[in-house]
Amino acid sequence: MNAPTDRDLILRAKRGDSEAYGEIVTRHQTSVFNVCYRILHNRSDAEDLAQETFMRAYNRLNTFDIEREFAPWIRRVAANLCLNFLESQKTSTQLDDERDEDKSQSPSGQVEVKERSEKIRQALASLPSNYRLVVELRHYQEMSYDEIANELKIPLSDVKSHLFRARKLLAEKLHAPD
Amino acid sequence: MHLTDEQLNEYVDNETNEREQIELHLHLCDECSKRFSDLQNLFLELDSLPDLQLTRDLSTRFISSGGLIQQPPRWLTLTVFAQAALALIALIISIPVITTYIPQIDTNSLMTPLFEIQSLWNTWLDSLSTLQLPTIPEFPIPIIEMSSLLLALAGIFVLWILGNGLLLRNQIRR
Repeated sequence: MNAPTDRDLILRAKRGDSEAYGEIVTRHQTSVFNVCYRILHNRSDAEDLAQETFMRAYNRLNTFDIEREFAPWIRRVAANLCLNFLESQKTSTQLDDERDEDKSQSPSGQVEVKERSEKIRQALASLPSNYRLVVELRHYQEMSYDEIANELKIPLSDVKSHLFRARKLLAEKLHAPD
Repeated sequence: MHLTDEQLNEYVDNETNEREQIELHLHLCDECSKRFSDLQNLFLELDSLPDLQLTRDLSTRFISSGGLIQQPPRWLTLTVFAQAALALIALIISIPVITTYIPQIDTNSLMTPLFEIQSLWNTWLDSLSTLQLPTIPEFPIPIIEMSSLLLALAGIFVLWILGNGLLLRNQIRR
């Protein structure tokens, strides 16, 4: 028997089936958590915000258009929550001492992947939060410049300047000698 | 003349209307071609970032369901409408009783406004009595005693409370 689609599960969740919503959460929790982590760079905050994202989404489920894809929508809800969180914090977040795991690699390959991933995360974390958000929305959520401007309520020119400067800074950090 | 950062970024993001001119320039200019290649490598690096794993399963909270706002099932929604209908019937039944018992209450200060209301009510009843309605077959109406009426009202009240209790049981968050 085929696994139910997101659409089926959402329809069931809309009728009050919490098991169905639990299945939706299981499917999307990693990607939602990673959205939060890329923006916040703090595991504990990212997990809390990911949980909050699913709570908010559940409360808004009746207004969710069933013909839309759930995954991009929930990631956008997460990004918005992180944006509000950052605005409420007004302090720079500290990068966790996080290590990436990739069990498919050989031990030496794993070390390389970990080091490289850590360097990318460090570079992302070093960006100002508004640059980080634009990078998240463009690179990981594949939104257009106009969509980002609407989402963040900033002028299109700011979207471009933040994005281009962010990329320049990232390139400098990633290619700087260790 | 080299491509600007803006032109190059917009080209990579598919956000430019000058694709052909930019592509032509990239074929001819080694420096811009190198910058373009660096930008593509940066994209690859960002894409290569592996997903981190959660330390806890976020779905348990939803599956155990203690903290969720549940959508009320259809039968419960119908119960609410049934309660409202019963309440309306109880109100209609109680009106003649109230109008009979109110004059017997010895509260002089309250009597004047209550009499005014009663007089308005009587006027309304009079105007209703003059209304021509289609004739309906007569049914024998049982005479209800006061104690039975109160018992019925108390029963409706208990049912109402129970219904609301059931409705709200699953809606307590956290």
